[in-house]
Amino acid sequence: VNEFVEKCRREWKRLGVPDPVADEMAGDLAADLDEAAAEGASPEEVLGTGANDARSFAASWAAERGVVELRSRRRPRRALAALAVSAALAIVGLVLLVAAPSRTARMAVSAPLPRVVFLPGRLVRPRAVLPRIWFVPARREQAIAPGDGRAPLWWAGLGVLVVGIAGVGATALVSLRP
Amino acid sequence: MAVDGGRRTQLLRGVLDLCLLAVIQEGPAYGYEMTKRLRARGLSIVGEGSIYPLLARLEREGLVETYRAESNGGPPRKYYRASAQGEAVLAAGLAEWRAARDAVDAVLGVVEAEGVA
Repeated sequence: VNEFVEKCRREWKRLGVPDPVADEMAGDLAADLDEAAAEGASPEEVLGTGANDARSFAASWAAERGVVELRSRRRPRRALAALAVSAALAIVGLVLLVAAPSRTARMAVSAPLPRVVFLPGRLVRPRAVLPRIWFVPARREQAIAPGDGRAPLWWAGLGVLVVGIAGVGATALVSLRP
Repeated sequence: MAVDGGRRTQLLRGVLDLCLLAVIQEGPAYGYEMTKRLRARGLSIVGEGSIYPLLARLEREGLVETYRAESNGGPPRKYYRASAQGEAVLAAGLAEWRAARDAVDAVLGVVEAEGVA
């Protein structure tokens, strides 16, 4: 008897039932269970199926007293919020996956080697015979080389997508639970 | 395939509030006392939902009034009695129950009379 009442008390405390209300319900419950035990009646004869699940019994009683919300009434709002957050995460993850490059772009810059240009002497100086040698700075060239790894942004998107999908699944499972 | 226990539970769920209002019409009672009165009339709540949440709902809806009083040598108990609104609800519910019961009897009674299992 005491154990059952204590379980109910813990549930009421967890649910935020005001102490005076919890004390009243616990007192009434203990008195009825004590009387039943003295008469040889089982807790099931007092509590029905509630005897098998103190937490549900306590929550249901407190809800009908109007001091807490019924779980079934709270569930849709919480489930909806969880579903919205999870779906948003999944969408963000998907966007990152699509937008992020799938491979790392590695830029290679060639060394600025000088180029040797031969110009006929007469083009530089009208009377020159020997060609002049001009050093022209090399043009910087860029090369894109494919890398081996995925971009960090891509991995982040994959992670967020997985978390989002898992959240949607978990929310659906919890919501469909009777 | 119907589940017998489930059907009984569903049937009882629809009228248990009327049963509680009925047993406190004969006099105010606390929770366990009501259970005993139901049992004395052949209605056990073993395997069914608890009456405590239901009593709380009846109180919240103003169908019962409560007060505290000493029980026989025990601690003070919370007694329930039907309010005027509760008695009206009981009368209306009783009429509905009897009409439904008669209609169902009219259907199922014929099946039983013809010996169809």
